[in-house]
Amino acid sequence: MLEARLSQSMVLKKVVDAIKDLVQDCNFDCNDSGIALQAMDNSHVALVSMLLKAESFEPYRCDRNIALGVNLVSLTKVLRALQNDDLVTLKAEDAPDSLNITFESSTADRISEYDLKLMDIDQEHLGIPDTEYAATVTLPSAEFKRICTDLQAMSESVTIEATKDGIKFSCAGDIGNGAVTLRNYQNVEKEHLNVDIELTEPVSLTFSLKYLVNFCKAQPLSDRVKICLSNEVPLLVEYLVTGTSYLRFYLAPKIGDEE
Amino acid sequence: MARTRASKGSNTAATDNSAAASTPKSNYTIPTPSKNPPKIFILPKKATDAARIVLLLHPRYAKPTRYLVCPETGFYEFTRIAAPKSTPRSWLIQADGHKPQEPDTDSKPVEKDASFGTYVTNGAELFVATPIDPLFLILPTLIDSSGKSEKRRYISSDDHFDRIQEESPHLWEILRWGEGRIRGLLEARLGAVCDTVDAGDERMFQFSEDKLTAELLSKARRMSTRPLPRSMEEKFVVKPLEAPVLGVKRKTTTSTTTTTSTSVPSEATQDDSSNSDSASGTPTLKIEASESASSDSSTESGTSFASDASTTVTSTIASEESTTESEALLPAMVASPEVVSLQRLRTAFSFLCSSYVPPSLATILHSKLPAEPGADFGVLDAYLSEVNRLKHEAAVARSAGDYTRKRVMDDEELAERAEKKRKKEEEEKRKKAGESRGVRDLKKVNTTGMKKMSDFFQEKGLRIYVKGEECTKLMYEKKCSGN
Repeated sequence: MLEARLSQSMVLKKVVDAIKDLVQDCNFDCNDSGIALQAMDNSHVALVSMLLKAESFEPYRCDRNIALGVNLVSLTKVLRALQNDDLVTLKAEDAPDSLNITFESSTADRISEYDLKLMDIDQEHLGIPDTEYAATVTLPSAEFKRICTDLQAMSESVTIEATKDGIKFSCAGDIGNGAVTLRNYQNVEKEHLNVDIELTEPVSLTFSLKYLVNFCKAQPLSDRVKICLSNEVPLLVEYLVTGTSYLRFYLAPKIGDEE
Repeated sequence: MARTRASKGSNTAATDNSAAASTPKSNYTIPTPSKNPPKIFILPKKATDAARIVLLLHPRYAKPTRYLVCPETGFYEFTRIAAPKSTPRSWLIQADGHKPQEPDTDSKPVEKDASFGTYVTNGAELFVATPIDPLFLILPTLIDSSGKSEKRRYISSDDHFDRIQEESPHLWEILRWGEGRIRGLLEARLGAVCDTVDAGDERMFQFSEDKLTAELLSKARRMSTRPLPRSMEEKFVVKPLEAPVLGVKRKTTTSTTTTTSTSVPSEATQDDSSNSDSASGTPTLKIEASESASSDSSTESGTSFASDASTTVTSTIASEESTTESEALLPAMVASPEVVSLQRLRTAFSFLCSSYVPPSLATILHSKLPAEPGADFGVLDAYLSEVNRLKHEAAVARSAGDYTRKRVMDDEELAERAEKKRKKEEEEKRKKAGESRGVRDLKKVNTTGMKKMSDFFQEKGLRIYVKGEECTKLMYEKKCSGN
């Protein structure tokens, strides 16, 4: 049986909000190390991978590996009832029909309890190797979101070019073209505004902006985002949740689509 | 001791055979079937007491067949009437001792005594004796002798009948009956199909195919004066003459009827009446049905009409009217009375040939038929070829352009389809409900040039979950062992 209590209840809500626009149904794989999720979008060009480590929960108990097949829209509906400083407890049997979600108000004595019906979802599971990326850029998540939404107005795809000078997001559309370039930036006072670029070799890849904008929905999770690029390899967009828990997005680059 | 059916059977077998039916020991004993059960015959009243059933060769099949021969009134063939096997019937026969009132009807030499008893036959067979021309019975022997017409010689009737003796001894027997009356009858019939020469006081006969053809034709003509028996008429006369029904009205129909009636004014009245008569024969014309009844009755009176010009005119109008009335359903062609009667004649002739004439002779007769006066089938053949052409055209037109013959769905199928559609829609709706706007929007994204994730990352295998538990790791393990 699973019992996981999350004090930072909003994390769960934000994670689900970030994923629900990419994936419809997915399995939350629960084991003793934490709750993991891997799912692809309908086109199978993007992948979301989430890990909420056991340390994030207080307490965390999972006797057996269970997969909680959840429709994310349904889960969102339940989580809408979640209030800001509620404690969330997830409970499930060993062979569960439903997931029990309890919200406990920390201030008032108020407990709301929901049972969410589960479903059996068969899905492909991909083994994602640890990759040495040619370019790793860490930047404020709000900045990344801003760039993506701005460029989306111009075109449907963006070319991300990482050189030693900086990282350049450029696009060309029907109405013209645009580019945003970020250079290494250090702010000692406000570290979260830093832009760190680590580069082993220059990279230039093109991605669908629609997908990137979609990934940016995870922005409330963290004020930092890490973008990793390598030629011929999917882009990795990583948001750190709490501690070492993460939410990662992978997106296949566009190849041979340059006009 | 257990009583078996077999022991019962042997008991009854021991009882008197002829009185098997009248052993009322038990209500349920089944009497053994009679070895020679009575049969039911319908014999002609005019056949005398001296009439006998004899075995003669069948003219067509050359097999011994039973015929009723009466020295006074001639030959009769038996027609067996029986219920089909699928609907078994039986006769209940009772002949209780006393002789029938009229000895004429009972020409069978069966002794009527008290032991005749009551019977239930296991088949409802009925034998009806109908007159047959003895000519057919002597035909096989005639043509046996006449291999080729050149070789044929004139021979006396005695010689002819001598030959018969070898084939069917019964015939020889009956020749001596009734002070040679049968013989006289046969000789007369022989004369009808043979060229004869008087040599002294004896007549010599030589078989003539032409005469036989003429003879058969006259029989056929007599047969065809009136409609053939219904099943025959339907199959051999109405059906072959029926032209396909075309939606489009053909001008030619009216024009042909008018030309025939004007060119042959004497036949005009008859033409009119039987034209509508033939039209009523085609099952598609419903409007004509009431008319045909009245015109049928006028057929008889129509012949007595004076065939002057005025009647010709009226008949033309009548025929035109009838065609315009039933414009939509009119067959492309309507057989003229001449054509119908010719078809009837031909059918009758081939019926005679196929039932009473040896096959070899039948083919000869068929080839000789067109030469016969009054058997000009030219009009009929022209009509039939036209009908065939129309039928062919109709068939081609249908196969080419008729899409309406698609299978029509019945209600059940429709309901099933509707149900399926409804289910599908429901499923879709449910799916839509579980789909966020973002997911829907992503479906519209142009993903050309983007590889699938599985191209980059190795598949660990398909995970199948049942109630949150992985139910098989087979694929996963297979992958691992492969690596």
